[in-house]
Amino acid sequence: MISQVFILSSQGDHLIYKDFRGEAGSDVVSVFYEKVTALTGDQPPVVMSHGDLHFVHVRQGGLYWVATTTSPGSSPFTIIEFLNRFSALVKDYCGSLSEKSVQMNFALIYELLDEVVDYGYIQTTSSDVLKNFIQTEAVSSKPFSLFDLSNVGFFGAETQQSKVAPSSAASRPIQSSRESEIFLDVIERMSVVIGSKGVVLKADVEGEVRVKCFMPSCSEMRIGLNEEFSIGKSQLRGYGAAVRVDECRFHQNVHLDEFHSNRVLRLCPSQGEQTVMQYQLSDDLPSAPPFRLFPTIERDSGGRLLMYLKLRCDLPSKRFVVISALSQELSSPDQSAELKLQNRAIDWKIPRFIGGTQLSALFKLEVSGLSPSSLMEVGPVVLVFELPQLTVSGLQIRFLRLSPVQPAPSQRWIRYVTHSDSYILRL
Amino acid sequence: TTDNQNHPPIFELKAELNSDKKEKKKEAVKKVIASMTVGKDVSALFPDVVNCMQTDNLELKKLVYLYLMNYAKSQPDMAIMAVNTFVKDCEDPNPLIRALAVRTMGCIRVDKITEYLCEPLRKCLKDEDPYVRKTAAVCVAKLHDINAQLVEDQGFLDTLKDLISDSNPMVVANAVAALSEIAESHPNSNLLDLNPQTINKLLTALNECTEWGQIFILDCLANYTPRDDRESQSICERVTPRLSHANSAVVLSAVKVLMKFMEMLPKDLDYYGTLLKKLAPPLVTLLSAEPELQYVALRNINLIVQRRPEILKHEMKVFFVKYNDPIYVKLEKLDIMIRLASQANIAQVLAELKEYATEVDVDFVRKAVRAIGRCAIKVEQSAERCVSTLLDLIQTKVNYVVQEAIVVIKDIFRKYPNKYESVIATLCENLDSLDEPEARAAMIWIVGEYAERIDNADELLESFLEGFHDESTQVQLQLLTAIVKLFLKKPTETQELVQQVLSLATQDSDNPDLRDRGYIYWRLLSTDPVAAKEVVLAEKPLISEETDLIEPTLLEELICHIGTLASVYHKPPSAFVEGSRGVQHKRIPGNLGSGESVESPDNGSAAGVTEAPPAVIPSQGDLLGDLLNLDLTPPTTTGPPPISSGMQMGAMDLLGGGLDSLVGLRHNTERSFRSPSPPDYSPTEVGPGGHMGAGFGAPPAVMPASFNAPVSVGLDDLFDLGGGVGMPMGAFNPPKTVWLPAMKAKGLEISGTFVRRAGVIQMEMNLTNKAMSVMTDFAIQFNRNSFGLASAGPLQILTPLSPNQSIEAALPLSTVGPVMKMEPLNNLQVAVKNNIDVFYFSCQYPISMLFVEDGKMERQVFLATWKDIPNDNESQFQIKDCHLNSDAASNKLQSSNIFTIAKRTVEGQDMLYQSMKLTNGIWVLAELRVQAGNPNYTTILKSKQRITSLIIIHTVSERPFCTNWNLICYIL
Repeated sequence: MISQVFILSSQGDHLIYKDFRGEAGSDVVSVFYEKVTALTGDQPPVVMSHGDLHFVHVRQGGLYWVATTTSPGSSPFTIIEFLNRFSALVKDYCGSLSEKSVQMNFALIYELLDEVVDYGYIQTTSSDVLKNFIQTEAVSSKPFSLFDLSNVGFFGAETQQSKVAPSSAASRPIQSSRESEIFLDVIERMSVVIGSKGVVLKADVEGEVRVKCFMPSCSEMRIGLNEEFSIGKSQLRGYGAAVRVDECRFHQNVHLDEFHSNRVLRLCPSQGEQTVMQYQLSDDLPSAPPFRLFPTIERDSGGRLLMYLKLRCDLPSKRFVVISALSQELSSPDQSAELKLQNRAIDWKIPRFIGGTQLSALFKLEVSGLSPSSLMEVGPVVLVFELPQLTVSGLQIRFLRLSPVQPAPSQRWIRYVTHSDSYILRL
Repeated sequence: TTDNQNHPPIFELKAELNSDKKEKKKEAVKKVIASMTVGKDVSALFPDVVNCMQTDNLELKKLVYLYLMNYAKSQPDMAIMAVNTFVKDCEDPNPLIRALAVRTMGCIRVDKITEYLCEPLRKCLKDEDPYVRKTAAVCVAKLHDINAQLVEDQGFLDTLKDLISDSNPMVVANAVAALSEIAESHPNSNLLDLNPQTINKLLTALNECTEWGQIFILDCLANYTPRDDRESQSICERVTPRLSHANSAVVLSAVKVLMKFMEMLPKDLDYYGTLLKKLAPPLVTLLSAEPELQYVALRNINLIVQRRPEILKHEMKVFFVKYNDPIYVKLEKLDIMIRLASQANIAQVLAELKEYATEVDVDFVRKAVRAIGRCAIKVEQSAERCVSTLLDLIQTKVNYVVQEAIVVIKDIFRKYPNKYESVIATLCENLDSLDEPEARAAMIWIVGEYAERIDNADELLESFLEGFHDESTQVQLQLLTAIVKLFLKKPTETQELVQQVLSLATQDSDNPDLRDRGYIYWRLLSTDPVAAKEVVLAEKPLISEETDLIEPTLLEELICHIGTLASVYHKPPSAFVEGSRGVQHKRIPGNLGSGESVESPDNGSAAGVTEAPPAVIPSQGDLLGDLLNLDLTPPTTTGPPPISSGMQMGAMDLLGGGLDSLVGLRHNTERSFRSPSPPDYSPTEVGPGGHMGAGFGAPPAVMPASFNAPVSVGLDDLFDLGGGVGMPMGAFNPPKTVWLPAMKAKGLEISGTFVRRAGVIQMEMNLTNKAMSVMTDFAIQFNRNSFGLASAGPLQILTPLSPNQSIEAALPLSTVGPVMKMEPLNNLQVAVKNNIDVFYFSCQYPISMLFVEDGKMERQVFLATWKDIPNDNESQFQIKDCHLNSDAASNKLQSSNIFTIAKRTVEGQDMLYQSMKLTNGIWVLAELRVQAGNPNYTTILKSKQRITSLIIIHTVSERPFCTNWNLICYIL
């Protein structure tokens, strides 16, 4: 049972405070802020206690979203999940999450809170249900215009019409929109470990299909996935390049009657953002991992540590990649490298990496007391990157249809992106 | 100025609130609420805000209600003003307004309002609109918190129960949540009467209600105890689909229900295996969430893995750390990796751990190094690889890595003695760099343990000795022990060193532990170096393979709390909740199906190693190391002897006698011993003995002058032995006392006593199963003891012992077993084994058990012997408060095989001459003096044995309604 919910700015300002059960005073807000700012790095911040009161919090949009509880039977898991959903709701309703947007929309947020939690019991976080109750209109800090091209982010999104919507297009209050727009993101995160001999020790992909719907009443949406999409190891469909995942979970509103035969997801999306499908794939990626490293590490005659790193991008050419790799003469002028003593790391930044090419760097380090065993201490290379317009799993959206066909013209935007979650190349 | 804009002064707000324009009013109320949020006191505006309440504008109404909820408590009289509007709103045609009114009224925690609330609430509970009904259901819980009696009187609880059968799942979910909470404050009420019918209703609602409602229902289901395995299975089948829910909180609640109900399923059921397989993917999926959720998930998985390692045994890879995991996630993952490590995956795990050991974060690196050591101990086949990995790490010379490695290598030596000594040389090279106490202590232990193989062991230890007083206690104790070991191994060269450390420990230290250990070593070494060797260099028990496991009963409780705060803290709710509110101890239901034990059946498989509950280090200090090495294979069991458990470093080689006797020892060193009394000591001159007696404050003892090692017993314990109700004419049988408390023995409690019946000594025990699983395969064995007591047959417990069952067992004892002098003399160390583990305890038997039936000496022989025994072998003491006359005393004593040979009366004082014979043939003679009218007796005891002077204190005392017979014996 949730006792209180409050939202704090990163400086500890009270933005929202709601008490559901009268079990504790509002003074605990500052207690929480003192505790959370006093935490050291290795202390798990998730659950903190203060006498009988337990704080559970998440950080979203640079804000602290906190719930307190006094009942030992409360589930922190439920509360965290709730806080994440609640912040997503606030984002949907206010357009974006920031100190300012929360401040400006406090009345709306209180109204939301009143509906989502009653006496500490979570009631609903579904925007479909909530739209029946919410009266307050969102206040947006700046009016949004699709034609505000200064907002165009780095990535464009390709649709069938080959039009590009700015990446910030989806950041506006769901209620305010007059346009019937739907944004669909396919986002994948890669965790890869490549051993020192170039063997792939582990390669996992976690993916999700997210829909953000601005249509006040969308009757039904049909999302077509690759026809050769399969779940589980045994079940292969079609010939050749099958898209396979190990595990798949769907939003509870998704109807799967057409999924088994045609790989079509049917759903009536609620207004706002929702994760329609989550999937994961381990070990058996359809293609080789996108980056390979060829390192040479040795001691030179002057007792310096020499690291010669050759990084190859195995993606199809004409793909741009943003990388910042750990681990300096650089082979290209727009790269940069920095030695970070605190982390004992070298930060090598590569703004763009063209598929099918290779970059190399030579780093010379003066290390006092360098011994042969120090070479063992040279840790792994970690790659942080974003691959636009690409899914490692190969998952594609064949089509996105609304039925019955909407009377007003609707815009549908589809975007693919793969992030590195943890991409490690061991030396 | 910005502040003024957002939070204008009160008078401005007041004016705006009273404006005629709706828009302006609304904006004003908003500003009031904004001020309220940042903590400004706007309670002065109460009347003005309440005035805005009568409006058709729902948005404005909501804002006013929000204000009311906040300030009603501080302005109860004003709050009454709002009541009429509430009551009216509860009848509004718009269900949103009805619900809003009933919701807000419940939040106004003012007693006066509650009476007005009852009627509207009653209507709303029966409202046609489910949204109103679900809000009303919650309102019952709110009202109950304010005025529980009122809720009962008004019959709201019955209405709430009816709502469990409501057609709308959201109403059901809220009714369940409200009832669950109310039931918590009435633990014995039958509010949430869970029976198969209601469970069925809940399961139906489960499929239809929102994700949050599903959580309420699942948590409620988890409190239900199914009648049999069939019902358990059918509930599991209906809950399983929740595992693939997108909301991970639903998943975890479902896991809780399944983990709990699985306990009731027979393991051989196909469904059981299916269920195990189904649990793995959702648990793995939980780890793809945000770090906060991951952390909570990992804490829960840690519990699940300890309880059922088989679920995740193939999922090792998902626990490999990512470089960008927060440190608290990394540490949790590491812990789980070790728990899952087995022969099948050890190569993979080790490769990972080695990588982690070169990371940047110090805490993580330390834990990774430690983990390598734990792998070596857990998976024997990997030990060699682990050791070489650790050596590689030591080569890096990174200070904290080296220290951590040395600490774990010590443990590896404990597990595999005499196997990896070749690495000692490498370790010794790093001696100077060790600055942490734990690492220094570990290194010293290694040097002491392998002193004979390290040429310069004396130099190494001497180097530590220089700064002895600056070391931590841990290091000082280790150093003391190590040098004593060295001395025993190389006595010639190290005499000076040992003298030095003994005097540092005993004379220059304020630490009682250190001083006591020092004294013990000193006395051992000066009296009996052979015994010292036996004790100090005794073979050590192997350490157990799993450390820091959660104690099984706690684990069971925590499993019932999966997903809750308890599962994150790894503490039972009672440990972090003050008061009793809402604290209920939850238990896993027993297996009703086939009476099979909870342990997993697939022994022998790789995971089987971890399934057998590991031996837990016994915490009693009074156990001898070699007791742990007893072969405990009784004739009734077929399996291999259990792996013996380990003890904390340092505690084990500290003397057989154990720490209890240390306490006694300290007393005695400070006490002067009086000289033996002559046999004709007159009663009036009892002297120093006078202050003794039943209290046993200071036992008299006879000390041969040459013998300077005082020995004593834990008197208090002995006193307990006799402190029961006596049997008027029978032999002295002490009542049963608890020997082994359940908390020390994974739920097995043993209490017992010793009796002598028809010439046979019997150990009578009561075994009680206080755990949740069935216990079988009992066996018992004694350590060597002073009188050679040994079991004359197997422990006859033929039926398995179900939970909460007790069984009586009588074990006949023989006195032909191996003999070893114990401290105290009548101490008996016992090992009891069952299917779960081996447990150790010690108990003391009354010496009277050992008095044999043919202990009556011939008169002539008695006379001659009495005269023969030198005065040195004699002791005298007093028995207080004994109101028997000499004949009655004599009769009582005879029933305990203490025979009166002769009696004479001198000046009104009866003198009884008595004899008794111990099972080992030692005769003891006694003279008991009883003076009419004086409740204090005097006893003189003599024994012929010259090597050991025998003293038996034999107390006869009588209180008005009961008789106590205490027989306590000392042998010096």
